[in-house]
Amino acid sequence: MPSHPLRVAVVCSSNQNRSMEAHNILSKRGFDVRSFGTGSHVKLPGPAPDKPNVYDFKTSYEQMYNDLVRKDKELYTQNGILHMLDRNKRIKLKPERFQNCKDKFDLVITCEERVYDQVLEDLSSREQETLQPVHVINVDIQDNHEEATLGAFLICELCQCIQHTDDMENEIDELLQEFEDKSNRPFLHTVCFY
Amino acid sequence: MDEESEAPRVIDMTTSEKVVDLLNQAALITTDEKLTVLKQVQELIINKDPSLLDNFLDEMIAFQTDKSIEVRKFVIGFIEEACKRDNELLLRLIANMNMLLKDDSVNVVKKAILTLTQLYRVTLQWLVRSKAVPEMQEACWDMVTQMKEDVLALLDSENDGVRTHAIKFTESLIITLSPRTSDSDVPKKQEGDISLDKVPKDHSYIRYDVLCEEGKTALDKLLKFMVHPAISSINLTTALGSLASIARQRPMFMSKVVQAYETLHANLPPTLAKSQVSSVRKNLKLHLVAVLKHQGSLEFQGQISTLLLDLGMPQSEITRTTPALREQRKRPRHDQYTEGKKVKIEPALIEDDEDKEEPAPLSAPKPPAVPVPQSAIDVTAEFLRPLLNPENVANLVLISMVYLPDIMPASFQATYTPVESAGTDAQIKHLARLMATQMTGAGIGPGLEQSKEKGDDAGKDEGADEDAGGKDLLIKRKVPAMMGQAISVVGGYAKQAPSTEAPTAVKRVPEPIIPTVQTKLAGASGRKKVFRLSDVVQPLSEPQIEKMTSQTIKRILHSEKAIAQSGMSHVRVKLLSRLVTQFEGMMKDDVLEFILDDIRTRSDLAFSLLYQEYNTYLGQLPTGLLDSYDHCLYTLLSGLQEKPEQRDGLFTKLVLEAPLITESALEVIRRYCEDESRVYLGMTTLKELIVKRPSRQFQYLHVLLDLSSHEKEKVRTTALGFLKRMYEKDHLRDYIEKFALNYMQLLVHPNPPSLLFGADKDTEVAAPWTEETVRQCLFLYLSLLPLNHRLVHELASVYTEAIADIKRSVLRAIEQPIRGMGMNSPELLLLVENCPKGAETLVTRCLHILTDKVPPSPELVERVRDLYHKRVPDVRFLIPVINGLEKNEVIQALPKLIKLNPIVVKEVFNRLLGTQHSEGSSSVSPLTPGDLLISLHNIDSTKCDMKSIIKATNLCFGEKNVYTSEVLAVVMQQLMEQSPLPILLMRTVIQSLTMYPRLGGFVMNILSRLIAKQVWKYPKVWEGFVKCCQRTKPQSFSVLLQLPPAQLNSVFERCPEMREPLLLHVHSFTLHQQAHIPASIMAVLEVNKKPEPKPVEPSEEKEIEPVPDSSGPVEAEVSAEAAEESEPAEQQQAAVTTTRDEEESMEQEEADPATHEETVDTAPQVESADGGDTPSPQPEPEEEPMEASEPEPTDHQEPPKDDEAADVSGPETGSSGEDTE
Repeated sequence: MPSHPLRVAVVCSSNQNRSMEAHNILSKRGFDVRSFGTGSHVKLPGPAPDKPNVYDFKTSYEQMYNDLVRKDKELYTQNGILHMLDRNKRIKLKPERFQNCKDKFDLVITCEERVYDQVLEDLSSREQETLQPVHVINVDIQDNHEEATLGAFLICELCQCIQHTDDMENEIDELLQEFEDKSNRPFLHTVCFY
Repeated sequence: MDEESEAPRVIDMTTSEKVVDLLNQAALITTDEKLTVLKQVQELIINKDPSLLDNFLDEMIAFQTDKSIEVRKFVIGFIEEACKRDNELLLRLIANMNMLLKDDSVNVVKKAILTLTQLYRVTLQWLVRSKAVPEMQEACWDMVTQMKEDVLALLDSENDGVRTHAIKFTESLIITLSPRTSDSDVPKKQEGDISLDKVPKDHSYIRYDVLCEEGKTALDKLLKFMVHPAISSINLTTALGSLASIARQRPMFMSKVVQAYETLHANLPPTLAKSQVSSVRKNLKLHLVAVLKHQGSLEFQGQISTLLLDLGMPQSEITRTTPALREQRKRPRHDQYTEGKKVKIEPALIEDDEDKEEPAPLSAPKPPAVPVPQSAIDVTAEFLRPLLNPENVANLVLISMVYLPDIMPASFQATYTPVESAGTDAQIKHLARLMATQMTGAGIGPGLEQSKEKGDDAGKDEGADEDAGGKDLLIKRKVPAMMGQAISVVGGYAKQAPSTEAPTAVKRVPEPIIPTVQTKLAGASGRKKVFRLSDVVQPLSEPQIEKMTSQTIKRILHSEKAIAQSGMSHVRVKLLSRLVTQFEGMMKDDVLEFILDDIRTRSDLAFSLLYQEYNTYLGQLPTGLLDSYDHCLYTLLSGLQEKPEQRDGLFTKLVLEAPLITESALEVIRRYCEDESRVYLGMTTLKELIVKRPSRQFQYLHVLLDLSSHEKEKVRTTALGFLKRMYEKDHLRDYIEKFALNYMQLLVHPNPPSLLFGADKDTEVAAPWTEETVRQCLFLYLSLLPLNHRLVHELASVYTEAIADIKRSVLRAIEQPIRGMGMNSPELLLLVENCPKGAETLVTRCLHILTDKVPPSPELVERVRDLYHKRVPDVRFLIPVINGLEKNEVIQALPKLIKLNPIVVKEVFNRLLGTQHSEGSSSVSPLTPGDLLISLHNIDSTKCDMKSIIKATNLCFGEKNVYTSEVLAVVMQQLMEQSPLPILLMRTVIQSLTMYPRLGGFVMNILSRLIAKQVWKYPKVWEGFVKCCQRTKPQSFSVLLQLPPAQLNSVFERCPEMREPLLLHVHSFTLHQQAHIPASIMAVLEVNKKPEPKPVEPSEEKEIEPVPDSSGPVEAEVSAEAAEESEPAEQQQAAVTTTRDEEESMEQEEADPATHEETVDTAPQVESADGGDTPSPQPEPEEEPMEASEPEPTDHQEPPKDDEAADVSGPETGSSGEDTE
């Protein structure tokens, strides 16, 4: 077991649903976890598929919440958005963008392939300095509440297993293979360096 | 504790004091706190007051031996910071770094590698600047160089993470040790970092050319590392990234990097999983794009974009990421690519029209000039391109088909994309290049030869070396491919070849590539493998082989402990069992013996072996034999069985878990069950088998059934117990029942079948039936009886057919089961009701058993009564239920009853008098004791001989507890009042008086009243009367005086000695009293011998007269004679004094113990049965009395009955003689 707690980042597109769900669970399990989005904006479902609510990353969850309550409280209650925002605002103030974060992690978990690509692109575009490795793992999760919950548990289990390895870097390959077999979904995995 | 109190003080302290204080703390506290404290110290001595650094360096470095990994890692970080702050410290600290680089913990090593990455540059920079040449510095540099080599060697580390770090170190090293050029990308933060171009060429000990060489070597190492066939996905990813950053920062290596990418793309390691392949491809794409963006890649744009296309990147995107063409001013030396393309573009388009809608020609920017140094691959590709005409390609495809793996490798599956530009010139060129890459990798092709020939260029040589290295690796990869494993080389051809149909001019037919490669390979390996195993070894001889195998097995066997310690015992067990089952011979026995030595701890091996044997059997099922399995199971089981003590249920476990129970195994189980100390466990096992292996349950059941008649009692009873429980199960019931029945039916054979003696054939043995053999046949059946009452009928029918000896045994054996059935059993009642002919004794025995302890139920009484009256008038049936009969029925039956064997009579009386049961007999006799005695007196003497009656009354008198003086008084009273007086009256009176002398007064009263009833008219009674008077002499005088003179005279005639005392008695009277005595009496008293004869005569005549009166009218004419015949005898008997009676009773008492000795427990009933059924010269007549068909009891029937009674009751001869039989 590594002597220091694993520093984990969970990344999805808007830092609302999937990453926050996982953030929630992981922090409850005592992980040093942060969550991010990689999108250029924060997008939430709107009254129609082509009319999303778009915010920038500076808007706090609280503000989004109030905004949506004002727009159509019933709709957003019904589709669970308000509930989600309510949960989020109790975790942290506002969404964060991965590309703007210069903190270092041991493990970055992304929630879809596009996000994984963006994270990889960002990380490899940064100038290498310390050469500390960071493992990036993609776990595909559909962007809805149920899948987010299921995915969060999977991520949590994965993190716990990684945390409990004696030598993470040496065992992570095998561990992921096991997880692939078990969860029956493929994981993209790579290592980048700070 | 102290911290709080010291905290305020710390503020006032100087930095130095503070550091001292913190360091002191750090020595004593936990890791987490220690880290915090040490970080404070680091901050203080490095940033706040660097002057202190030197002072406390040793103290800080001392923590490098701390137990905590984190602390050690911190020390590494500290060293880095310190050295960066003060380069001079490198001299002191580099040795510590070296130590830490060899730390036990991989995490520390990784951290050390990271730090060394930095420090290498720092050191180089520092040493290059300082011109002084202290030896210390040179030594320091040597050490750093050595450490660098160590880290490079770590590329072969076993730890994935360490390798990853080593790759990054190598990357950094390559960049440092190569010159920065104008087109180099330079990360901003590394602007000031040293690179080869800043190293002076005149440095005393740092040699520019050496460093340059080291850098190239490092790159080669990295490239070589990357083509390792078993590279992990993370290492590969890391290496790809490193190459990309090398290519961008040092474009001089661009060619090698792109080539490496190409090779990799076509040869993805077969060990990668599917998702890893996707990850790697994604990375490859990412890095290719990064490289493509760099202007230095211009020359390779064609190759890169083809790769990107293959990786699934849309053409448009590739175009977007390609830098503008303005940089094209580079020398356009070789225009082959361009030419070729321009020439062939048109036909290609035509082809495309046919093939695909989207022509997608390589709209990549005009291929720039070919790289300056034309690599071997380039040359080979050039050579190949014109050869790739449809025909050749088709041949290649066909040939390579043979080598396709059975299963599509994951890497191929992931990388396969339909070839969009099939047949186009660009595509052919790409194909040629791909093939050239492979060929160069395999060490063939004109390009390689060419470059070898040149030999002038050092870089080329290196390339060749590298290729040679690569060749080995490729060979390694190819060999598994031949064996059907994943290989990307072949996959690459298969993928590309079918689409290449571009019409290209054919120059000559080249040799097929693959075979060429193969022959080359074979040749190469042939040269290497001069040593051929088959040349130097001789086959071992059979015995040798055997000996060695057996020794091998033994070694594995005896390595038990060592292996157990390593936690691999399951492997050993599996290994052993698989090995052993494959071979014949002694090994099996060795292993089995080994197991049996300590079966408890080696049971897993036992099971494994057993299953393996069974598995082998199953494997060759149609023809396979169970012998080996059987032997294994048999040996194990008998080993267990023979072990003296063994408490755990291993035997049971083995039996129950064995996949199949063979015959011989069953035999062992049987033996196990026969062991008295294990019988319970054994049978429990057997029971489990029966329950849990339904397919063969009857086979197992049969064993248990067999055991139910085992000679050992414990075995037998246990088996019976189990069988009884199993009998309750429906599906087993029939079988058990049938078996029991079959067994019982053996009893009808005249001799016991040999089956009973263990032999299997149903032959009869001459030996007679014995008690033991009979019982053997009965145990099971009888124990089932209480569970299924219906069985009793079959028992009865077998009984009727069996011989007498068997009958006797049966009667003895049925007590327990019949008692178990109880008298309310409908089946039993039915049996009584039907009473099959010949089963009378059985029924009687049943009745006795049933009523032995409890009074008979009304139903039973009813059945018996019916039977008695309607079918078999044998009074013996009535005995068991006698207390259930009506009073008059009993009285009616009495004459017959008392004629039976005295022992039987005694039993009847016991029942009637309630003296039989110790437990205070709840049965209420229909007759009171008094009634019984009176009834006996009233038995018609024509129906029963006096002797029997007397004996019966004697029995009554024998029960002193019942016949108290009061009871007897009442009896006498009642008898006396009867008329005519019962013959035995006086006998009873005298008997009573003997027993209870205080009844004297009462008796006198009786006597007086008898006088009133003219007792002298009944000769017998009169005789008794006189006798009684004689006995009660003084008392009886007054009674005598009441007699009429004639009778008094008669008295004196009988007892002359009475006269004198009586006379004296009279004389003792007062005169007045004497006056009351009639003269006639006095005359009789005083007469002296004169009148004697006279009165006697008439009195005698008178006596005789009444005799015919009493008996005459009752008796039938025919029987009169007989009666007369018997009467004298009776008279004689009656005449005999009481002493004679007493003798008789004595005789009976003697007889009793005698019979008890002979018939162990069941005396009277059996005797009666014997009497009825013992084989005799004329069995028929003896059975007659039992037969229902026999006409009404007539004269004819009487005699045998009497005979029987006489036989039975006859003093010694008859009954005892039979009893002994």
